[in-house]
Amino acid sequence: MMYRINRIDWTEAGSVWRSLSTGTSHSAPERARRPVSMPDLRIVLIAAGCIAASTIEPALSYPEFQTFSEKSGRTTNCAMCHTNADGPVGERKGQIGKLNEEELARLNKARTALQPGENVDSPILNDFGNYIIKTVGKQKVLEARKNPEMLVEALGPKHDLDDDGIPDAREFKDGTDPLNKFHGDAFALFTHNLSRYRGDVILAVLAVMLVVFGLINLIKALETLTRKTESTE
Amino acid sequence: MKTREALGSFSEFIARRFPVEKMNFHYMVEKKEVPTHKMTWGYYTGGLTLFFFLVQVVTGLLLLFYYQPTVSDAFLSVQYISEHVSCGALIRNMHAWSSSCMIFFAIVHLLTTFAMKAFANPREITWITGVLLLFITFTFGFTGYLLPWNQIAVNATKVGLQSIEEAGAYLPGALAELPRILRETFQGEASVGQSTLGRFYALHVVLLPLALALVLGVHLFSVQLHGMSQGVDLEARKSERFFPIFFSKDLGVWAVAFLALFVLALCLPFESFLPYPLLEPYNPLGSTPAGIKPEWYFFFVYYPLEMLPFWVIMLAMTVLSVGLFLVPWIFKGTTRKTLSFIAVAAAIYLVVMTVFGEQIYHLVKQ
Repeated sequence: MMYRINRIDWTEAGSVWRSLSTGTSHSAPERARRPVSMPDLRIVLIAAGCIAASTIEPALSYPEFQTFSEKSGRTTNCAMCHTNADGPVGERKGQIGKLNEEELARLNKARTALQPGENVDSPILNDFGNYIIKTVGKQKVLEARKNPEMLVEALGPKHDLDDDGIPDAREFKDGTDPLNKFHGDAFALFTHNLSRYRGDVILAVLAVMLVVFGLINLIKALETLTRKTESTE
Repeated sequence: MKTREALGSFSEFIARRFPVEKMNFHYMVEKKEVPTHKMTWGYYTGGLTLFFFLVQVVTGLLLLFYYQPTVSDAFLSVQYISEHVSCGALIRNMHAWSSSCMIFFAIVHLLTTFAMKAFANPREITWITGVLLLFITFTFGFTGYLLPWNQIAVNATKVGLQSIEEAGAYLPGALAELPRILRETFQGEASVGQSTLGRFYALHVVLLPLALALVLGVHLFSVQLHGMSQGVDLEARKSERFFPIFFSKDLGVWAVAFLALFVLALCLPFESFLPYPLLEPYNPLGSTPAGIKPEWYFFFVYYPLEMLPFWVIMLAMTVLSVGLFLVPWIFKGTTRKTLSFIAVAAAIYLVVMTVFGEQIYHLVKQ
Protein backbone atom coordinates (compact mmCIF):
# COMPACT_ATOMS: atom_id res chain seq x y z
CA MET A 1 0.00 0.00 0.00
CA MET A 2 2.85 2.40 0.77
CA TYR A 3 6.00 3.08 -1.12
CA ARG A 4 8.82 0.84 -0.21
CA ILE A 5 11.40 2.25 -2.65
CA ASN A 6 13.90 3.98 -0.47
CA ARG A 7 16.81 5.32 -2.44
CA ILE A 8 16.90 4.91 -6.19
CA ASP A 9 13.70 5.41 -8.05
CA TRP A 10 13.95 3.48 -11.31
CA THR A 11 10.74 4.93 -12.66
CA GLU A 12 12.33 8.31 -12.30
CA ALA A 13 15.39 7.02 -14.10
CA GLY A 14 13.06 5.85 -16.83
CA SER A 15 11.41 9.22 -17.15
CA VAL A 16 14.79 10.96 -17.31
CA TRP A 17 15.74 8.50 -20.03
CA ARG A 18 12.61 9.32 -21.96
CA SER A 19 13.11 13.04 -21.67
CA LEU A 20 16.70 12.67 -22.81
CA SER A 21 16.04 10.39 -25.74
CA THR A 22 12.84 11.31 -27.54
CA GLY A 23 11.09 14.01 -25.63
CA THR A 24 7.89 12.01 -25.76
CA SER A 25 6.51 9.50 -23.32
CA HIS A 26 5.72 5.94 -24.32
CA SER A 27 3.71 3.31 -22.62
CA ALA A 28 5.46 0.10 -21.59
CA PRO A 29 4.02 -1.98 -24.48
CA GLU A 30 5.03 0.70 -26.96
CA ARG A 31 8.55 0.69 -25.63
CA ALA A 32 8.65 -3.08 -25.84
CA ARG A 33 7.63 -2.99 -29.49
CA ARG A 34 10.23 -0.44 -30.56
CA PRO A 35 13.28 -1.94 -32.35
CA VAL A 36 16.61 -1.56 -30.65
CA SER A 37 18.33 0.46 -33.28
CA MET A 38 21.13 2.08 -31.33
CA PRO A 39 22.02 -0.13 -28.36
CA ASP A 40 25.11 1.89 -27.47
CA LEU A 41 23.15 5.09 -27.21
CA ARG A 42 20.57 3.37 -25.02
CA ILE A 43 23.22 2.14 -22.63
CA VAL A 44 24.67 5.62 -22.44
CA LEU A 45 21.26 7.13 -21.85
CA ILE A 46 20.33 4.59 -19.17
CA ALA A 47 23.62 5.22 -17.46
CA ALA A 48 22.97 8.95 -17.66
CA GLY A 49 19.54 8.39 -16.22
CA CYS A 50 20.95 6.39 -13.33
CA ILE A 51 23.51 9.06 -12.61
CA ALA A 52 20.79 11.71 -12.74
CA ALA A 53 18.60 9.65 -10.43
CA SER A 54 21.35 9.23 -7.88
CA THR A 55 22.38 12.87 -7.88
CA ILE A 56 18.93 14.45 -7.86
CA GLU A 57 16.96 13.87 -4.64
CA PRO A 58 14.68 10.95 -5.43
CA ALA A 59 10.95 11.61 -5.64
CA LEU A 60 9.34 9.56 -2.94
CA SER A 61 6.38 9.73 -0.67
CA TYR A 62 7.62 9.68 2.86
CA PRO A 63 5.98 6.94 4.94
CA GLU A 64 7.30 8.54 8.15
CA PHE A 65 4.81 11.39 7.73
CA GLN A 66 2.01 8.95 6.97
CA THR A 67 2.83 6.89 10.07
CA PHE A 68 2.86 10.08 12.13
CA SER A 69 -0.61 11.08 10.88
CA GLU A 70 -1.97 7.60 11.46
CA LYS A 71 -1.14 7.89 15.16
CA SER A 72 -4.28 10.03 15.31
CA GLY A 73 -6.26 6.83 14.75
CA ARG A 74 -7.19 7.67 11.17
CA THR A 75 -6.01 5.86 8.09
CA THR A 76 -4.16 8.17 5.74
CA ASN A 77 -2.42 7.68 2.43
CA CYS A 78 -0.06 9.45 0.04
CA ALA A 79 -2.94 11.67 -1.13
CA MET A 80 -2.33 13.93 1.82
CA CYS A 81 0.60 15.51 -0.06
CA HIS A 82 0.71 13.83 -3.46
CA THR A 83 -1.42 14.24 -6.56
CA ASN A 84 -1.89 10.50 -6.87
CA ALA A 85 -3.25 8.64 -3.85
CA ASP A 86 -0.76 5.84 -4.54
CA GLY A 87 2.22 8.22 -4.37
CA PRO A 88 4.59 9.59 -6.97
CA VAL A 89 6.01 6.34 -8.33
CA GLY A 90 4.20 4.80 -11.26
CA GLU A 91 2.77 5.43 -14.67
CA ARG A 92 -0.61 6.83 -13.74
CA LYS A 93 -1.94 10.38 -13.54
CA GLY A 94 0.13 12.50 -11.18
CA GLN A 95 2.94 9.97 -11.10
CA ILE A 96 6.45 10.41 -12.44
CA GLY A 97 6.11 7.92 -15.26
CA LYS A 98 3.28 9.94 -16.75
CA LEU A 99 4.93 13.38 -16.68
CA ASN A 100 5.71 15.31 -19.83
CA GLU A 101 8.76 17.51 -20.33
CA GLU A 102 7.21 20.65 -18.93
CA GLU A 103 6.02 18.78 -15.85
CA LEU A 104 9.43 17.20 -15.39
CA ALA A 105 10.94 20.66 -15.45
CA ARG A 106 8.53 21.79 -12.74
CA LEU A 107 9.34 18.65 -10.76
CA ASN A 108 13.06 19.31 -10.95
CA LYS A 109 12.56 22.92 -9.92
CA ALA A 110 10.59 21.79 -6.89
CA ARG A 111 13.32 19.33 -5.97
CA THR A 112 15.90 22.05 -5.86
CA ALA A 113 13.76 24.26 -3.62
CA LEU A 114 15.76 23.41 -0.55
CA GLN A 115 15.06 26.65 1.24
CA PRO A 116 11.62 28.08 2.13
CA GLY A 117 9.98 30.84 0.11
CA GLU A 118 10.44 29.48 -3.39
CA ASN A 119 7.33 29.35 -5.53
CA VAL A 120 7.06 25.65 -6.34
CA ASP A 121 4.45 23.86 -8.41
CA SER A 122 5.46 20.21 -8.48
CA PRO A 123 3.14 18.08 -10.64
CA ILE A 124 3.49 15.10 -8.33
CA LEU A 125 2.42 17.11 -5.29
CA ASN A 126 -1.02 18.48 -4.49
CA ASP A 127 -1.61 21.97 -3.10
CA PHE A 128 -0.74 20.86 0.42
CA GLY A 129 2.48 19.16 -0.70
CA ASN A 130 3.53 22.22 -2.66
CA TYR A 131 2.59 24.44 0.26
CA ILE A 132 4.84 22.42 2.58
CA ILE A 133 7.82 22.78 0.21
CA LYS A 134 7.10 26.46 -0.26
CA THR A 135 6.74 27.15 3.46
CA VAL A 136 9.49 25.07 5.00
CA GLY A 137 11.70 24.12 2.05
CA LYS A 138 12.73 20.67 0.87
CA GLN A 139 15.70 20.61 3.25
CA LYS A 140 13.47 20.88 6.31
CA VAL A 141 11.06 18.26 4.95
CA LEU A 142 13.95 15.81 4.71
CA GLU A 143 15.10 16.67 8.21
CA ALA A 144 11.56 16.29 9.54
CA ARG A 145 11.39 12.68 8.42
CA LYS A 146 13.11 11.70 11.65
CA ASN A 147 10.74 13.82 13.68
CA PRO A 148 7.49 14.60 11.81
CA GLU A 149 6.26 16.64 14.79
CA MET A 150 8.79 19.22 13.63
CA LEU A 151 6.81 19.72 10.43
CA VAL A 152 3.69 20.56 12.44
CA GLU A 153 5.58 23.31 14.23
CA ALA A 154 7.22 24.53 11.01
CA LEU A 155 3.90 24.83 9.16
CA GLY A 156 2.49 27.03 11.87
CA PRO A 157 -1.05 27.51 13.09
CA LYS A 158 -2.29 30.09 10.58
CA HIS A 159 -2.53 28.61 7.12
CA ASP A 160 -5.72 26.81 6.11
CA LEU A 161 -5.86 25.72 2.47
CA ASP A 162 -9.40 24.33 2.47
CA ASP A 163 -10.79 27.13 4.63
CA ASP A 164 -12.53 24.73 7.01
CA GLY A 165 -11.30 26.52 10.10
CA ILE A 166 -8.74 23.88 10.98
CA PRO A 167 -5.10 24.88 10.29
CA ASP A 168 -3.25 22.69 7.80
CA ALA A 169 -0.67 21.78 10.44
CA ARG A 170 -3.39 20.38 12.68
CA GLU A 171 -4.99 18.50 9.79
CA PHE A 172 -1.61 16.91 9.12
CA LYS A 173 -1.33 15.96 12.78
CA ASP A 174 -4.94 14.69 12.96
CA GLY A 175 -4.62 12.66 9.76
CA THR A 176 -7.48 14.54 8.12
CA ASP A 177 -7.63 15.90 4.58
CA PRO A 178 -6.14 19.43 4.47
CA LEU A 179 -7.70 20.04 1.04
CA ASN A 180 -11.27 19.00 1.81
CA LYS A 181 -13.41 21.45 3.73
CA PHE A 182 -15.81 18.64 4.64
CA HIS A 183 -13.11 16.65 6.34
CA GLY A 184 -11.46 17.38 9.66
CA ASP A 185 -11.69 16.84 13.39
CA ALA A 186 -15.44 16.61 14.02
CA PHE A 187 -15.56 18.86 17.09
CA ALA A 188 -13.31 21.52 15.56
CA LEU A 189 -15.35 21.53 12.34
CA PHE A 190 -18.61 21.78 14.27
CA THR A 191 -17.53 24.71 16.44
CA HIS A 192 -15.97 26.56 13.53
CA ASN A 193 -18.99 26.09 11.25
CA LEU A 194 -21.40 26.97 14.04
CA SER A 195 -19.60 30.24 14.52
CA ARG A 196 -19.42 30.82 10.74
CA TYR A 197 -23.12 30.11 10.15
CA ARG A 198 -24.54 31.50 13.39
CA GLY A 199 -26.58 34.07 11.43
CA ASP A 200 -28.18 31.31 9.34
CA VAL A 201 -28.85 29.25 12.45
CA ILE A 202 -30.56 32.17 14.19
CA LEU A 203 -32.70 32.82 11.11
CA ALA A 204 -33.60 29.12 10.88
CA VAL A 205 -34.62 29.06 14.56
CA LEU A 206 -36.82 32.13 14.06
CA ALA A 207 -38.37 30.73 10.88
CA VAL A 208 -39.13 27.36 12.44
CA MET A 209 -40.59 28.99 15.56
CA LEU A 210 -42.87 31.14 13.43
CA VAL A 211 -44.00 28.21 11.30
CA VAL A 212 -44.74 26.06 14.34
CA PHE A 213 -46.55 28.94 16.06
CA GLY A 214 -48.67 29.44 12.94
CA LEU A 215 -49.40 25.73 12.51
CA ILE A 216 -50.36 25.20 16.15
CA ASN A 217 -52.74 28.14 16.02
CA LEU A 218 -54.18 26.89 12.74
CA ILE A 219 -54.82 23.50 14.35
CA LYS A 220 -56.47 25.18 17.34
CA ALA A 221 -58.64 27.25 15.03
CA LEU A 222 -59.67 24.15 13.09
CA GLU A 223 -60.55 22.39 16.31
CA THR A 224 -62.61 25.35 17.55
CA LEU A 225 -64.43 25.56 14.22
CA THR A 226 -65.23 21.84 14.31
CA ARG A 227 -66.63 22.17 17.82
CA LYS A 228 -68.76 25.16 16.87
CA THR A 229 -70.17 23.32 13.88
CA GLU A 230 -70.97 20.30 16.08
CA SER A 231 -72.72 22.43 18.72
CA THR A 232 -74.77 24.25 16.02
CA GLU A 233 -75.89 20.92 14.57
CA MET B 1 -63.89 -28.33 7.00
CA LYS B 2 -60.62 -27.50 8.64
CA THR B 3 -59.77 -25.06 5.86
CA ARG B 4 -63.10 -23.30 6.33
CA GLU B 5 -62.51 -23.07 10.08
CA ALA B 6 -59.03 -21.69 9.53
CA LEU B 7 -60.32 -19.13 7.04
CA GLY B 8 -63.08 -18.20 9.44
CA SER B 9 -60.73 -17.62 12.36
CA PHE B 10 -58.35 -15.68 10.09
CA SER B 11 -61.12 -13.38 8.88
CA GLU B 12 -62.24 -12.95 12.50
CA PHE B 13 -58.65 -12.06 13.43
CA ILE B 14 -58.50 -9.44 10.66
CA ALA B 15 -61.97 -8.08 11.49
CA ARG B 16 -60.95 -7.54 15.11
CA ARG B 17 -57.75 -5.75 14.06
CA PHE B 18 -59.57 -3.59 11.52
CA PRO B 19 -63.02 -2.90 13.00
CA VAL B 20 -65.06 -1.17 10.31
CA GLU B 21 -67.24 0.67 12.82
CA LYS B 22 -64.19 2.55 14.11
CA MET B 23 -62.99 3.62 10.70
CA ASN B 24 -64.11 7.22 10.83
CA PHE B 25 -62.56 10.62 11.53
CA HIS B 26 -64.46 11.02 14.79
CA TYR B 27 -63.12 7.81 16.30
CA MET B 28 -59.63 7.88 14.81
CA VAL B 29 -58.82 11.54 15.45
CA GLU B 30 -61.33 13.47 17.50
CA LYS B 31 -62.02 10.83 20.12
CA LYS B 32 -58.47 9.57 20.36
CA GLU B 33 -56.79 10.05 23.76
CA VAL B 34 -53.14 9.78 24.72
CA PRO B 35 -52.41 8.52 28.26
CA THR B 36 -50.11 10.67 30.39
CA HIS B 37 -47.58 8.76 32.49
CA LYS B 38 -43.85 8.31 33.01
CA MET B 39 -43.45 6.63 29.61
CA THR B 40 -45.38 9.23 27.60
CA TRP B 41 -42.14 10.24 25.85
CA GLY B 42 -42.25 6.85 24.16
CA TYR B 43 -45.28 7.97 22.14
CA TYR B 44 -43.16 10.59 20.38
CA THR B 45 -40.52 8.18 19.04
CA GLY B 46 -42.72 6.85 16.25
CA GLY B 47 -43.54 10.38 15.13
CA LEU B 48 -39.85 11.26 15.11
CA THR B 49 -39.07 8.25 12.93
CA LEU B 50 -41.79 9.37 10.54
CA PHE B 51 -40.41 12.90 10.56
CA PHE B 52 -36.90 11.76 9.60
CA PHE B 53 -38.39 9.58 6.89
CA LEU B 54 -40.15 12.62 5.45
CA VAL B 55 -36.84 14.53 5.52
CA GLN B 56 -35.30 11.59 3.68
CA VAL B 57 -37.98 11.78 1.00
CA VAL B 58 -37.63 15.54 0.47
CA THR B 59 -33.81 15.65 0.50
CA GLY B 60 -33.64 12.45 -1.56
CA LEU B 61 -35.86 13.97 -4.24
CA LEU B 62 -33.63 17.03 -4.37
CA LEU B 63 -30.51 14.87 -4.69
CA LEU B 64 -32.13 13.01 -7.59
CA PHE B 65 -31.83 16.14 -9.72
CA TYR B 66 -28.04 15.84 -9.78
CA TYR B 67 -27.06 12.30 -8.83
CA GLN B 68 -25.87 10.08 -11.72
CA PRO B 69 -26.21 6.32 -11.06
CA THR B 70 -23.27 5.21 -13.22
CA VAL B 71 -19.91 3.94 -12.04
CA SER B 72 -18.14 6.60 -14.06
CA ASP B 73 -20.20 9.53 -12.81
CA ALA B 74 -21.67 8.58 -9.44
CA PHE B 75 -18.71 9.78 -7.38
CA LEU B 76 -18.26 12.91 -9.50
CA SER B 77 -21.93 13.80 -9.27
CA VAL B 78 -21.84 13.46 -5.48
CA GLN B 79 -18.73 15.64 -5.42
CA TYR B 80 -20.46 18.13 -7.69
CA ILE B 81 -23.48 18.24 -5.37
CA SER B 82 -21.24 18.91 -2.36
CA GLU B 83 -19.01 21.51 -3.95
CA HIS B 84 -20.94 23.31 -6.68
CA VAL B 85 -24.69 22.97 -6.20
CA SER B 86 -26.28 25.71 -4.16
CA CYS B 87 -27.00 24.26 -0.68
CA GLY B 88 -25.96 20.88 -2.11
CA ALA B 89 -23.67 20.04 0.79
CA LEU B 90 -26.43 20.95 3.26
CA ILE B 91 -29.05 18.83 1.49
CA ARG B 92 -26.70 15.87 1.13
CA ASN B 93 -25.65 16.17 4.75
CA MET B 94 -29.28 16.38 5.88
CA HIS B 95 -29.98 13.22 3.89
CA ALA B 96 -27.05 11.41 5.50
CA TRP B 97 -27.74 12.60 9.05
CA SER B 98 -31.50 12.03 8.82
CA SER B 99 -30.97 8.47 7.59
CA SER B 100 -28.99 7.75 10.73
CA CYS B 101 -31.53 9.57 12.90
CA MET B 102 -34.37 7.62 11.25
CA ILE B 103 -32.72 4.31 12.04
CA PHE B 104 -31.84 5.43 15.57
CA PHE B 105 -35.42 6.44 16.34
CA ALA B 106 -36.84 3.35 14.62
CA ILE B 107 -34.79 1.21 17.02
CA VAL B 108 -35.75 3.36 20.03
CA HIS B 109 -39.40 3.15 18.93
CA LEU B 110 -39.18 -0.63 18.66
CA LEU B 111 -37.65 -0.95 22.13
CA THR B 112 -40.12 1.44 23.80
CA THR B 113 -43.18 -0.18 22.20
CA PHE B 114 -41.80 -3.53 23.30
CA ALA B 115 -41.24 -2.32 26.86
CA MET B 116 -44.73 -0.73 26.92
CA LYS B 117 -46.30 -3.94 25.58
CA ALA B 118 -47.84 -1.98 22.75
CA PHE B 119 -47.86 -5.12 20.62
CA ALA B 120 -50.58 -6.83 22.67
CA ASN B 121 -53.99 -7.72 21.25
CA PRO B 122 -55.43 -6.03 19.11
CA ARG B 123 -52.18 -4.36 17.97
CA GLU B 124 -50.38 -7.38 16.53
CA ILE B 125 -50.57 -6.05 12.97
CA THR B 126 -49.24 -2.67 14.10
CA TRP B 127 -46.24 -4.50 15.56
CA ILE B 128 -45.66 -6.73 12.54
CA THR B 129 -45.82 -3.79 10.12
CA GLY B 130 -43.45 -1.91 12.45
CA VAL B 131 -40.90 -4.74 12.29
CA LEU B 132 -41.28 -4.82 8.51
CA LEU B 133 -40.65 -1.08 8.42
CA LEU B 134 -37.48 -1.57 10.46
CA PHE B 135 -36.17 -4.16 7.99
CA ILE B 136 -37.05 -1.91 5.05
CA THR B 137 -35.22 0.95 6.77
CA PHE B 138 -32.10 -1.20 7.20
CA THR B 139 -32.30 -2.14 3.52
CA PHE B 140 -32.55 1.56 2.69
CA GLY B 141 -29.32 2.09 4.61
CA PHE B 142 -27.55 -0.80 2.88
CA THR B 143 -28.58 0.23 -0.64
CA GLY B 144 -27.93 3.93 -0.05
CA TYR B 145 -24.43 3.27 1.25
CA LEU B 146 -23.25 2.16 -2.21
CA LEU B 147 -24.53 5.15 -4.14
CA PRO B 148 -21.61 7.61 -3.56
CA TRP B 149 -19.36 4.98 -5.19
CA ASN B 150 -16.35 5.70 -3.02
CA GLN B 151 -13.90 3.22 -1.51
CA ILE B 152 -15.87 2.47 1.63
CA ALA B 153 -19.19 2.29 -0.26
CA VAL B 154 -18.12 -0.32 -2.79
CA ASN B 155 -15.89 -2.37 -0.52
CA ALA B 156 -18.43 -2.48 2.32
CA THR B 157 -21.12 -3.55 -0.16
CA LYS B 158 -18.84 -6.30 -1.44
CA VAL B 159 -18.39 -7.57 2.13
CA GLY B 160 -22.14 -7.36 2.75
CA LEU B 161 -23.03 -9.29 -0.40
CA GLN B 162 -20.32 -11.84 0.31
CA SER B 163 -21.83 -12.44 3.75
CA ILE B 164 -25.20 -13.18 2.13
CA GLU B 165 -23.62 -15.88 -0.04
CA GLU B 166 -21.72 -17.40 2.86
CA ALA B 167 -25.03 -18.18 4.53
CA GLY B 168 -25.65 -20.80 1.84
CA ALA B 169 -23.02 -23.13 3.35
CA TYR B 170 -25.17 -23.56 6.45
CA LEU B 171 -28.50 -24.16 4.77
CA PRO B 172 -29.85 -27.61 3.93
CA GLY B 173 -30.68 -29.01 0.47
CA ALA B 174 -32.06 -26.72 -2.19
CA LEU B 175 -32.11 -23.83 0.28
CA ALA B 176 -28.31 -23.73 0.11
CA GLU B 177 -28.56 -22.16 -3.33
CA LEU B 178 -30.91 -19.39 -2.22
CA PRO B 179 -28.27 -16.97 -0.79
CA ARG B 180 -26.16 -17.31 -3.94
CA ILE B 181 -29.20 -16.55 -6.12
CA LEU B 182 -30.03 -13.59 -3.87
CA ARG B 183 -26.51 -12.27 -4.12
CA GLU B 184 -26.42 -12.64 -7.89
CA THR B 185 -29.80 -10.94 -8.17
CA PHE B 186 -28.64 -7.95 -6.14
CA GLN B 187 -25.17 -7.86 -7.65
CA GLY B 188 -26.21 -8.36 -11.27
CA GLU B 189 -22.72 -9.24 -12.51
CA ALA B 190 -19.55 -11.06 -11.52
CA SER B 191 -18.37 -8.32 -9.17
CA VAL B 192 -19.90 -5.17 -7.73
CA GLY B 193 -20.21 -2.91 -10.77
CA GLN B 194 -22.62 -0.96 -12.93
CA SER B 195 -25.40 -3.54 -12.68
CA THR B 196 -25.12 -3.54 -8.91
CA LEU B 197 -25.22 0.24 -8.76
CA GLY B 198 -28.23 0.32 -11.07
CA ARG B 199 -30.09 -2.27 -9.02
CA PHE B 200 -29.27 -0.67 -5.69
CA TYR B 201 -30.33 2.69 -7.08
CA ALA B 202 -33.65 1.25 -8.32
CA LEU B 203 -34.21 -0.36 -4.93
CA HIS B 204 -33.25 2.78 -3.03
CA VAL B 205 -35.30 5.32 -4.94
CA VAL B 206 -38.27 3.33 -6.27
CA LEU B 207 -38.98 -0.10 -4.84
CA LEU B 208 -38.13 0.47 -1.19
CA PRO B 209 -39.96 3.83 -0.95
CA LEU B 210 -43.05 2.20 -2.49
CA ALA B 211 -42.84 -0.75 -0.11
CA LEU B 212 -42.25 1.56 2.83
CA ALA B 213 -45.15 3.85 1.89
CA LEU B 214 -47.48 0.86 1.66
CA VAL B 215 -46.45 -0.72 4.96
CA LEU B 216 -46.29 2.68 6.67
CA GLY B 217 -49.84 3.37 5.53
CA VAL B 218 -51.11 0.17 7.20
CA HIS B 219 -48.99 0.90 10.30
CA LEU B 220 -50.26 4.46 10.78
CA PHE B 221 -53.85 3.48 9.99
CA SER B 222 -53.62 0.74 12.59
CA VAL B 223 -52.14 3.13 15.17
CA GLN B 224 -54.96 5.62 14.66
CA LEU B 225 -57.58 2.87 14.67
CA HIS B 226 -56.55 1.32 17.98
CA GLY B 227 -55.27 4.47 19.63
CA MET B 228 -52.25 4.66 21.89
CA SER B 229 -51.62 1.61 24.04
CA GLN B 230 -51.94 1.87 27.79
CA GLY B 231 -48.16 1.75 28.09
CA VAL B 232 -47.93 1.09 31.84
CA ASP B 233 -49.38 -1.54 34.18
CA LEU B 234 -51.52 0.84 36.20
CA GLU B 235 -53.98 2.65 33.98
CA ALA B 236 -52.97 6.32 33.64
CA ARG B 237 -55.08 8.72 35.67
CA LYS B 238 -54.69 11.49 33.18
CA SER B 239 -54.84 11.62 29.42
CA GLU B 240 -54.78 14.30 26.76
CA ARG B 241 -56.65 14.60 23.51
CA PHE B 242 -54.72 13.48 20.47
CA PHE B 243 -56.11 16.35 18.42
CA PRO B 244 -55.16 19.13 18.91
CA ILE B 245 -53.05 18.79 22.11
CA PHE B 246 -50.78 15.80 21.43
CA PHE B 247 -50.63 16.64 17.74
CA SER B 248 -49.43 20.19 18.54
CA LYS B 249 -46.84 18.85 20.96
CA ASP B 250 -45.70 16.39 18.32
CA LEU B 251 -45.26 19.29 15.90
CA GLY B 252 -43.14 21.07 18.51
CA VAL B 253 -40.95 17.99 18.87
CA TRP B 254 -40.61 17.81 15.08
CA ALA B 255 -39.55 21.45 15.03
CA VAL B 256 -36.82 20.82 17.59
CA ALA B 257 -35.71 17.74 15.64
CA PHE B 258 -35.59 19.75 12.43
CA LEU B 259 -33.47 22.46 14.03
CA ALA B 260 -31.09 19.91 15.52
CA LEU B 261 -30.80 18.22 12.12
CA PHE B 262 -30.30 21.55 10.35
CA VAL B 263 -27.51 22.65 12.70
CA LEU B 264 -25.87 19.24 12.52
CA ALA B 265 -26.03 19.13 8.71
CA LEU B 266 -24.81 22.70 8.38
CA CYS B 267 -21.92 22.43 10.82
CA LEU B 268 -20.78 18.84 10.86
CA PRO B 269 -20.19 16.96 7.59
CA PHE B 270 -21.30 13.38 8.06
CA GLU B 271 -18.17 12.05 6.36
CA SER B 272 -15.77 13.85 8.68
CA PHE B 273 -15.80 10.78 10.93
CA LEU B 274 -14.29 8.56 8.25
CA PRO B 275 -10.62 8.40 7.26
CA TYR B 276 -10.34 10.33 4.01
CA PRO B 277 -8.78 7.51 1.93
CA LEU B 278 -12.12 5.75 2.32
CA LEU B 279 -13.86 8.69 0.71
CA GLU B 280 -11.77 8.59 -2.44
CA PRO B 281 -13.41 7.34 -5.64
CA TYR B 282 -13.53 3.57 -5.87
CA ASN B 283 -10.54 2.16 -7.71
CA PRO B 284 -11.23 -1.36 -9.06
CA LEU B 285 -7.53 -1.92 -9.73
CA GLY B 286 -6.34 -0.78 -6.31
CA SER B 287 -6.06 -2.76 -3.11
CA THR B 288 -8.82 -2.61 -0.52
CA PRO B 289 -7.98 0.21 1.89
CA ALA B 290 -7.84 -0.40 5.62
CA GLY B 291 -10.78 0.45 7.85
CA ILE B 292 -13.65 -0.77 5.65
CA LYS B 293 -16.74 -1.33 7.77
CA PRO B 294 -20.49 -0.92 7.43
CA GLU B 295 -22.56 1.98 8.74
CA TRP B 296 -22.76 2.29 12.54
CA TYR B 297 -26.24 0.77 12.70
CA PHE B 298 -24.88 -2.57 11.49
CA PHE B 299 -22.12 -2.70 14.14
CA PHE B 300 -24.33 -4.76 16.47
CA VAL B 301 -24.05 -7.64 13.99
CA TYR B 302 -20.76 -6.71 12.26
CA TYR B 303 -18.42 -6.92 15.26
CA PRO B 304 -19.88 -10.19 16.59
CA LEU B 305 -19.49 -11.49 13.03
CA GLU B 306 -15.80 -10.61 13.17
CA MET B 307 -15.34 -12.34 16.52
CA LEU B 308 -17.60 -15.40 16.39
CA PRO B 309 -18.15 -18.19 13.85
CA PHE B 310 -20.45 -17.19 11.00
CA TRP B 311 -23.02 -19.87 11.76
CA VAL B 312 -23.50 -18.57 15.32
CA ILE B 313 -24.37 -15.10 14.06
CA MET B 314 -26.52 -16.47 11.27
CA LEU B 315 -28.48 -18.60 13.69
CA ALA B 316 -28.84 -15.72 16.16
CA MET B 317 -30.01 -13.33 13.46
CA THR B 318 -32.52 -15.83 12.09
CA VAL B 319 -33.93 -16.48 15.56
CA LEU B 320 -34.02 -12.74 16.27
CA SER B 321 -35.73 -11.88 12.97
CA VAL B 322 -38.39 -14.59 13.28
CA GLY B 323 -38.73 -13.84 16.99
CA LEU B 324 -39.37 -10.16 16.32
CA PHE B 325 -42.35 -10.99 14.12
CA LEU B 326 -43.70 -13.41 16.72
CA VAL B 327 -43.27 -11.07 19.69
CA PRO B 328 -47.06 -10.53 20.19
CA TRP B 329 -47.52 -14.29 20.72
CA ILE B 330 -44.21 -15.13 22.45
CA PHE B 331 -44.59 -12.38 25.08
CA LYS B 332 -48.38 -12.51 25.33
CA GLY B 333 -48.38 -13.22 29.06
CA THR B 334 -45.16 -11.42 30.02
CA THR B 335 -45.36 -8.50 32.43
CA ARG B 336 -44.27 -5.01 31.41
CA LYS B 337 -41.57 -5.13 34.08
CA THR B 338 -39.95 -8.16 32.42
CA LEU B 339 -40.38 -6.61 28.99
CA SER B 340 -38.71 -3.40 30.20
CA PHE B 341 -35.82 -5.43 31.55
CA ILE B 342 -35.36 -7.20 28.19
CA ALA B 343 -35.62 -3.87 26.31
CA VAL B 344 -33.00 -2.24 28.57
CA ALA B 345 -30.67 -5.23 28.15
CA ALA B 346 -31.08 -5.04 24.36
CA ALA B 347 -30.46 -1.29 24.42
CA ILE B 348 -27.28 -1.76 26.49
CA TYR B 349 -26.05 -4.40 24.05
CA LEU B 350 -26.73 -2.13 21.06
CA VAL B 351 -25.01 0.88 22.64
CA VAL B 352 -21.98 -1.11 23.82
CA MET B 353 -21.53 -2.86 20.46
CA THR B 354 -21.99 0.35 18.50
CA VAL B 355 -19.74 2.56 20.62
CA PHE B 356 -17.15 0.10 21.89
CA GLY B 357 -17.44 -2.68 19.29
CA GLU B 358 -14.07 -1.95 17.75
CA GLN B 359 -12.25 -1.90 21.10
CA ILE B 360 -13.95 -5.14 22.13
CA TYR B 361 -12.95 -6.68 18.82
CA HIS B 362 -9.28 -5.71 19.32
CA LEU B 363 -9.35 -6.98 22.90
CA VAL B 364 -10.76 -10.34 21.81
CA LYS B 365 -8.32 -10.66 18.91
CA GLN B 366 -5.35 -10.02 21.19
